[in-house]
Amino acid sequence: MTTPSRYLAVCFTAMVVATGCNPAQPPALVGAARTASERGFTGVFVPTGTFADPAGPAPWSNTPWPRDPPFTAWGAAESARLADHSNFTACSPGGPVFHMWEIGLFPLQLLEAPDQIVILREASGVPRRIYTDGRRHPEDLEATWMGHSIGTWEGDVLVVDTVGVNGRARAMNGVGSNAQVSSTDDDPRLPASDELHLVERFRLVADGELLEDEITIDDPKTYTEPIVLKHYFQRRPDIDMLEYFCNDNPRPGDDTARSPAAE
Amino acid sequence: MASMTATTLSALAALAACTGPVDAHHSFASFDRTKQVTLQGTIKEFQWTNPHAWIQIVITDEQGREVEWGAECGSPNMMARTGWKKTTLAPGDRVTAVVNPLLDGRPNGALVTITLADGTVLGPGDAPPPRPLGTTPR
Repeated sequence: MTTPSRYLAVCFTAMVVATGCNPAQPPALVGAARTASERGFTGVFVPTGTFADPAGPAPWSNTPWPRDPPFTAWGAAESARLADHSNFTACSPGGPVFHMWEIGLFPLQLLEAPDQIVILREASGVPRRIYTDGRRHPEDLEATWMGHSIGTWEGDVLVVDTVGVNGRARAMNGVGSNAQVSSTDDDPRLPASDELHLVERFRLVADGELLEDEITIDDPKTYTEPIVLKHYFQRRPDIDMLEYFCNDNPRPGDDTARSPAAE
Repeated sequence: MASMTATTLSALAALAACTGPVDAHHSFASFDRTKQVTLQGTIKEFQWTNPHAWIQIVITDEQGREVEWGAECGSPNMMARTGWKKTTLAPGDRVTAVVNPLLDGRPNGALVTITLADGTVLGPGDAPPPRPLGTTPR
């Protein structure tokens, strides 16, 4: 069906149940009413740490990760373990903080449904689901890679509370185990344990072009005090999400024999 | 004749930036990021795969022997947003690739740049090209 004929069909349907059809109005306003959950968060967003200046566009600056994190003894040991190149996280899911990595290279897609907001990261097959239907965290919560997230609205701010992660994810600051990642390789790995309690405040800024995620990381097993960061993501309706299956070609960099031609 | 030249560029920290912030699902620790090798040769295979693509290049070394190199790239998703297609390379294509070689001397490298037969220069893939605020079509 062509766009004009689809529009007419929408108009006709609306006329049956309403009082008229104003051609000056876009079809989206003629169809189903917007639900209370539609706050303008739906869309594709790119981390602004991928800009030439990793701080992102001023004044919406990404908070640098701490160079000297307030580690507990366990946290320091876990950070060192993740920095050991023999501990290989490869295609493992990233956890809820790494999901919101400010230099994540891959776009995010936020989708609003009446009872939840879903955050997809292109390079991950594991979405974040933030329930906004008033439920609480289950008492018998089973730990998972992304944990359990519930969201409430404070005006236009979505406040998200996350617990129940399994503590197995790669470092929160995007520095992968067994990885040498340009300048970030010297950065300390920031682990998250199964005691992670995350509070995030999401809001749209810069006339709706930027998504702000203020992240408070409370993980007493790993850090002696909370870490608070702001990460920004730019709305990019010109970009489509692409398919990504990480295990297509699990070929380490030093594997000279894994070329299909050599098999 | 195809040739290979290896040059140690230990001071060229700026060139490391050209390789981009590769999202290391796999180890890049095995590559010497301070060293670059230029490979002039012929494409044998292009593995357009996640998490990282690979380019197999056959070169002729200084002793006249054919040597197959593997050049690791970024994700096809990142490459597609920076000028690549699955059909960008085909077996038999003549190319010049610059790679950070393996520390142990075996013939693999992390791609820095590749120059195609038509002169096009491509990198290993990166994030979507950024747009200044206010310039993205709504």
